[in-house]
Amino acid sequence: MTKPRLAKPLPIPHLKAFCLGIVLCSAFILAGCARTTSPKVTEIVYWTGWSGHEFEAQERLIAEFNRTHPHIHVRILSQFGTSGYQKVRIAFAGGATPDVMSTVWADELAAYALRGVLTPLNSYLKQAGRDVEREYTPGVAKMLRIEGKTYGLTVTTNTSFIAYNRAIFREAGLDPNHPPQTIAELDRAALACTKYDPQGNFVRYGFRPSQLSLWAYVFGGKWYDTATRRITANDPHNLAALRWMVSYARTYDLKKMQAFQAGFGSNETANGPFFVGKMAMWSTGEWSQEYIHRYAPALDWGWFALPAPPGGRDKTTGAGGSVFVIPAACRHKDEAWEFLNWMSSPHAVASFCQSIKNVPPVIAAAKGNTFFQTDPLFHFSIAISQGKNSFGAPPIPTWPTYRREIGRVEEAAVLGGEDPDKLLNTLQKQMEKELIESREDLQR
Amino acid sequence: MNRKQPRLRAQERENQRNGTLFALPWLLGFAIFIAYPLCASLYYSFCTYDAIRPARWVGLQNYQRLFFEDPLFWKSLSNTLYMVALGLPIGLVASLGIAMLLNQKVRGIALYRTLYYLPSITPVVATSILWMWLLNPEMGLVNLFLKRVGVANPPAWLTDPFWSKPALILMSLWGVGGGMVIYLAALKDVPEALYEAAALDGASRWSQFRHVTLPMISPVIFFNLIMGLIGSFQYFTQAFVMTNGGPQDSTTFYALHLFNKAFLDFKMGYASAMAWILFLITLVGALLVFRTSARWVYYGGEVK
Repeated sequence: MTKPRLAKPLPIPHLKAFCLGIVLCSAFILAGCARTTSPKVTEIVYWTGWSGHEFEAQERLIAEFNRTHPHIHVRILSQFGTSGYQKVRIAFAGGATPDVMSTVWADELAAYALRGVLTPLNSYLKQAGRDVEREYTPGVAKMLRIEGKTYGLTVTTNTSFIAYNRAIFREAGLDPNHPPQTIAELDRAALACTKYDPQGNFVRYGFRPSQLSLWAYVFGGKWYDTATRRITANDPHNLAALRWMVSYARTYDLKKMQAFQAGFGSNETANGPFFVGKMAMWSTGEWSQEYIHRYAPALDWGWFALPAPPGGRDKTTGAGGSVFVIPAACRHKDEAWEFLNWMSSPHAVASFCQSIKNVPPVIAAAKGNTFFQTDPLFHFSIAISQGKNSFGAPPIPTWPTYRREIGRVEEAAVLGGEDPDKLLNTLQKQMEKELIESREDLQR
Repeated sequence: MNRKQPRLRAQERENQRNGTLFALPWLLGFAIFIAYPLCASLYYSFCTYDAIRPARWVGLQNYQRLFFEDPLFWKSLSNTLYMVALGLPIGLVASLGIAMLLNQKVRGIALYRTLYYLPSITPVVATSILWMWLLNPEMGLVNLFLKRVGVANPPAWLTDPFWSKPALILMSLWGVGGGMVIYLAALKDVPEALYEAAALDGASRWSQFRHVTLPMISPVIFFNLIMGLIGSFQYFTQAFVMTNGGPQDSTTFYALHLFNKAFLDFKMGYASAMAWILFLITLVGALLVFRTSARWVYYGGEVK
């Protein structure tokens, strides 16, 4: 061709080669995705939210599974931190989920399940002869049942109790062998342990109640009624619990107490107020034992179940944990189930919970394990978690919102001095509306 | 008919095609990652949308709820306006002040400049965690200093709803290095001759600053003001890391409320509506600044 040219355009053959290159590259990438290790081995991808030594414990379990199940190869990926849980949301939105994931908070289980992005496990469970109601602790079993179906299984849970400093109890004239058993005794002990300097600043404090979502259960209340399927935010017992929390604002300067508490940083750091003897009683759970061993090995401490008022519930605990689910978009459901079935077996649960020091939610896992039977704190924690007063997230899609709003109500009442009755009534109306709308939306 | 015309046209077409091909990566990126999400968010703002199930058109419902049924929307907006009205001017003045100090002819000035700039290149999360300790009510350095100079009851900063926002503003002063560097460059550009002339006319230091420095660097002030305005309206990370909105919603800024709605409450449509309202507010703010700029921004060579 002899066309005069002002500037040389891109020669066409090169462009073609370029395009061909792109096509070839994509083909290789696609081929990589479809790779199977050998014709008979199915690879499944598993996302976990555990990190650090907990992730290593997961890795050890998965190595054991891969060894004992030659036809399946599980590849584990860590999705740690808040961004990990955001990533879960985006993965569901885009349908780009792994085969199994344990990165769903118990709080969000219903929200995902009712949106149809999780595989119901009922037929698998039946086939395997498993019964969640009988295998799991009552609180966890209730939490896992959503509109009559099971969408996920947990392998860890926690127990709530109060840890107390025995030395401070002795100093304050309290009997460290008889910790508080009622709310009235708790209040008295809290006051006895509190010390001020001559200027009226805190030197030490006894106890500051927090987490209304849990204490409401202690007082005999509830946030949702499974039978009537209704929100019960303004249950009179919830109100009693909130009023009790507010009563601390009358006895103490709570803003000052909060600043004093914040001064020591988070409870779970070396300088936590409980570890350094500036807080006599700490509302916590079995995981704190590890921290105390690490940061305050010399601390003389004990524990007692959350004390209840007359008419309240004895030995109340929260129940939770990360939930293992099989996304609806999973392409190897049978293999995914085989893995999940094994991970939630008493053997695997006991092994994992023992290595990361969590309470096992599977009853049989605790029964056959020497550590769980002999460690005094775990013996105590497991008994509470298996009792009738354990409560997990209500099976409603709006629970993440609801729970945050309960926290805001608590702050507004305790620190902001707003009327508890009015706050809970507003919350009731607001959450009723949210739930109705969410249900309508999910039904279309 | 001119025989050359079609050939040139062919040439032009070819050039155009090649030009487009070269710009294509950017154009595609812009279309897919910016233009499409932008338009989609406008559409979703009229929908109920949880990012998982298909969106459903609900008309103005999201907007109506924002304005009439969500007290936290107004609270978060007022928190954000607080940062714009108070934090932004303080930040502008501070960065200009430091830039003026660092514009002195002193030994080791390069070292000082580095030191003052350093905090603005540390990650926000790291700075935030550092400041949580500095602002610690019991043993933070800030309160230790205040007690030393005789303040008997220093504020509880991040745990007090009244002091939490001032605490965040105080912290933001630590990161004024970015604006400072820009001011510094502008200050260096002011011709010495102007100061000499002013001094000969008997202008005081203040008059020199007021009538020489300020007008000469006004385009840069304008730039920093616009960027600061946009940044303040989108204030998010520090509150997310340090306070998560508390105490008592005092640090629930607009962007944080939006984030919670989108990622905790499964309300992407609602969050999209919030994003568009914020966009309009920012736009109006920026336009107002632009409108007034003719009166106070001086570009060299203009006759006033």
